[in-house]
Order: sequence, then C-alpha cells, then structure tokens
Amino acid sequence: MERFTLKKLIHMISQREISSAELVSIYFQRIKKYDHFINSFITLNQESAEEQSLIADKKIQAGNYDLLTGIPYASKDIFCTKGIKTTCASKMLENFVPPYDSTVINQIKNSGAILMGKTNMDEFAMGSSNETSYFGPVYNPWDLERSPGGSSGGSAAAVASGIIPIALGTDTGGSIRQPAAFTGITGLKPTYGRCSRYGMIAFASSLDQAGLLALTAEDIAIFLEAMSGFDPLDSTSVEELVPQYSDSLHNSIAGKTIGLPKEFFNNSLDTESQRILNQGIEIYEKLGAKIIEISLPNVGYSVPTYYVVASAECSSNLARYDGIRYGYRDGDAKDLDDLYRTNRQIGFGDEVKRRIMTGTYVLSAGYYDAYYLKAQKVRQLISNDFEEAFKEVDLIIGPTTQSPAFNIGEKIDDPVSMYMNDIYTISSNLAGLPALSHPVGFIDKLPIGMQLIAPHFQESQLLNFCHLFQQETDFHLQQPQAFLDD
Amino acid sequence: MTVKKSDINHICDLSKLRIDENEISTFTKQISDILNMINELEEADTDEIKPMAHPMNMSQRLRKDEVISNNDRDLFQKNAIDSEDGFYKVPKVID
Repeated sequence: MERFTLKKLIHMISQREISSAELVSIYFQRIKKYDHFINSFITLNQESAEEQSLIADKKIQAGNYDLLTGIPYASKDIFCTKGIKTTCASKMLENFVPPYDSTVINQIKNSGAILMGKTNMDEFAMGSSNETSYFGPVYNPWDLERSPGGSSGGSAAAVASGIIPIALGTDTGGSIRQPAAFTGITGLKPTYGRCSRYGMIAFASSLDQAGLLALTAEDIAIFLEAMSGFDPLDSTSVEELVPQYSDSLHNSIAGKTIGLPKEFFNNSLDTESQRILNQGIEIYEKLGAKIIEISLPNVGYSVPTYYVVASAECSSNLARYDGIRYGYRDGDAKDLDDLYRTNRQIGFGDEVKRRIMTGTYVLSAGYYDAYYLKAQKVRQLISNDFEEAFKEVDLIIGPTTQSPAFNIGEKIDDPVSMYMNDIYTISSNLAGLPALSHPVGFIDKLPIGMQLIAPHFQESQLLNFCHLFQQETDFHLQQPQAFLDD
Repeated sequence: MTVKKSDINHICDLSKLRIDENEISTFTKQISDILNMINELEEADTDEIKPMAHPMNMSQRLRKDEVISNNDRDLFQKNAIDSEDGFYKVPKVID
C-alpha cells in the first residue's frame, strides 16, 4: 500500500490522474481496513467528506481550484469542528458538538482540503503515550504492542500507517514531535502565536500550539501556509507575515551553524541513539553546515518548570468543565457542589485529575510564590539560554526522545517516569520556539527522531534543513511492514 | 515533600473534584512524587529574574469595545443537558 505524500496527491489531482472523490474513497477504504488495528480515529466525517469531494471535483474540472482543493486530511480531536463531535478524547466532552469551527479548521476548509475525521489523542492533550484516551489507546503501527507517543498519537499513527496523508496535531510539551519520532514521521510545532488557538481546546494557554504531522517537510511546508497567520479572535496570535514556506525548501545551508547543546548529549541518551544521531549530524555537515557545541545551562530544569506551569494553567482552563453549559452531567446530584464534583469525577480520567490537582496546589495560598512564581522565573532563564545560543548558531539540534517507542502499559502507573519522556521537547514550548522532529534511523526496527529548534518565526529554516536531509536519506520513506499489503 | 491526605482533600475542595476513598492513597503518593520532582526548581538561581508569563513576553492585546458577535443563545445551549427558556438549570442554591 503506497503512502502518498501530499505533494504526490496534489500532482495526481492536477494531472487529472485521480479525482478527489476517488481519493476520499481510497482513504476511507484504508481507514476501514486498518484503523481497528491502531484505533487512531474517534469520529469519521464520511458523508460530508464525500459531498465535499464532489464539489471539489467540479472546481477541478472547471480549472478553478486551489492547491489543496480536494485533498484529504485529519484533525486531532482537540480542534472545534462545527457540527462534528469534538471530544478531546474525554468522557467529559463525549457528546459535545461545537457550534463553531476553530480558526485553523476554517482556514484549511477555505484552502479546499477535506476533513476525513477526528483523531484519537491523550485526554485533554495530557499524556505522552495516547494511553489516557477515554476511547482506548492508540497502537503504534511499527509494533502494535507499543505506544505511538502522545498526545497526538492518533494523528501520528494514522499518517505513519498511510491511512491519512497529513494530520493536524497540537504540541504543548512535545505532543507532536515525540509521536512523530516514535512513528517514523515528520512533525512540526510552530512558534507560539504562529497559528491561531481560537477553537483549539485549551490545555496550557502559554504553551499550546497547533501543528502538523506528515511524511515529509515538503508536505508540512505546503499545509502550514494554509493554517498560519494572524487571527484577531486569538489574543495571543502574532501579526507576523506568513512566508511561502515551500519556496525556501531548497535553499543551500552551506555556511549555516548548528549548535549541539552539551546538556542534550550527556548520559541520558543511550549509546545506540547517540551513534544514530551522530550519523544524522554528519549528514548536515555534508550539506555544508558547521557544527559547534553550545550550552543551555538551565535546560535541565525544563521538566519541573513545565509541570508547574502547564499544571497550573490546565487547572485554570479545566475549571470551565462543570457539566452545566456543556459536558458530562450526572442525573442524581443532591446539591450544586455535589453536581460539580460528580460531573468532574466521572467526566475526567486520572491523569487529568492529577494535573488539575498539581496545578491547584502550586497556585494555592502559601505555595504560589514557591512554586508558580519560581517556575515562571526559571522559564525566563531557559528562554534566555536559547536567546544567547541563537546569537552563535542558526539552528539547534538534539534528540527528540530518550529511546524508541515504549510498550503500552510500561509507564502509565508511574507519572514521573512518563513525564521524563518530554525531556528534550519541553524547553522549546517554554521558550515559544518552533521545533521539528524528523526520522533519523532505527533501533531494533523501531524509528527514532532527531529534533531541530529554530529562533522565533523561523519555521522556513526548520523545513529547509529537514527537506535537504530528506533528499539525502530515506529514513522518512520507510513504512511499517504490517501496512504494506493491499 | 509528602502531601498529606488533608492536602489532597483541600485541593479537591478548591478544584471541585472528588477522589474515592480507595484511590486517595494512590493519588497522594503520585502527587507527592510529582512535587518532589518539581522541588528541583529550588536549586535554580532566579535572583533579579522577572517571571515569564508569555513565551515572548508580549502583553495582552485588546480590541475595540464594539459588539461583533450575534446572540446565538439557542445554538450555544444545544449542548446543555438541562436548560429551559434560555436558562441553564441547576439544583437549588438558595433556600
């Protein structure tokens, strides 16, 4: 079964080799055939997608269409989609049907792409394994006993298996990059404020960012143009021009400097991962980049800083889920307080409760200064380290994860061990920096990723570097064996 | 750093959560482990450092105080389990 890139699909449509209706049909057949192995979808949008594909075909036949007209895609079930259930993989929102589209969904709709369905995720985006979903875990297409990563596990598994060409994800502490690494695909978290958060169900408002999971940097470049840009409905949206990301993919990187933070390449990485990453770094050297060692002295505080800030923000953001205006509501409460507590006890899973509780604690009287204020100051330190580093280098490279995908069930009972999965990815969320993960090799037939981090609003640089790497290598072209037959 | 069960109860009061008796020990241990990990922050030297609330230290943008949206109450209330005549219904609050 060929995994078509977005670029290939666009070409096939423009050459009239295939119609949008045929494409939509092929992908729904694939979803029906393979998704029960990986559980990557929560809701399918089949009837509407089929109707939209007929409309798209009329436009294509008339020669009056856009680049993404008729192209299928999927969205993590965290983006509000008007009239289509949006659950955040939680019992709390099991039956929630948004009365509006999120801005990103609206932008993509206007670009002509067709929403095929909503993908599975960790509940309210809290998790690194897609095991906290109310709708069951997602399974890694490379080894069905392993996690695809999280929280955008559904989007990652769907793209990696070839049942969808590209999918939206979100990344608050690594939730696009880590699943991309675990499933052998490419994932981008843009700069904070690059893409609108209006209608993107909030987890941690100063960290959340919409992004993409796809087979190549080129595919991401095409789609990112459609979903970026200033939105007056999002008060954290930044008025920064959206470049033509596709245009700079082929630029030479000769003379560019890459920094390797010594704190990322210490004992926390095993020998085999180190060896594979070094091979990847050599490819960038071969492409003309200069490699130097840098230091991010405070980056070791990333995980504790994040778990204060993100938990605090999530405890505030999830206070709205009381079951009154929307969300899970119990029938039998004896008073209002009982109603709230029962709705939230039944509506939320354990990880969500843990994070709300941690967040409430660090914000509570007597603890606010020691925890929350302190964490915000350390956040500034971490951000300052990156600012200093980017005076010396154009790009920073590091691992995405400590190891390949772990087994489902291995870490779910040990929250702190699970949190350590985000050790390399979290710092770029704290500093609001754009970051990308791309495949760089395999350990015991499981993919591993390499992470690139750029200064604010330099997504073009990330995509440029990655594209050149993908012209030199074929790690991103490897696909899970079990999904090869057709 | 060990949180006590009374801390967990207090947190649940503040955040309108409820944890069953048989789960309280597990949650207490897990939250304690998390707070132990968080305590590493004490070592960081943050003298003279201002707290960072926004990753690019931007300030809140405001819009003009103009009405820009319609009153779509009925549409928005479609997701409420219990509503009547435009009101959301809850258990009695005032006797």
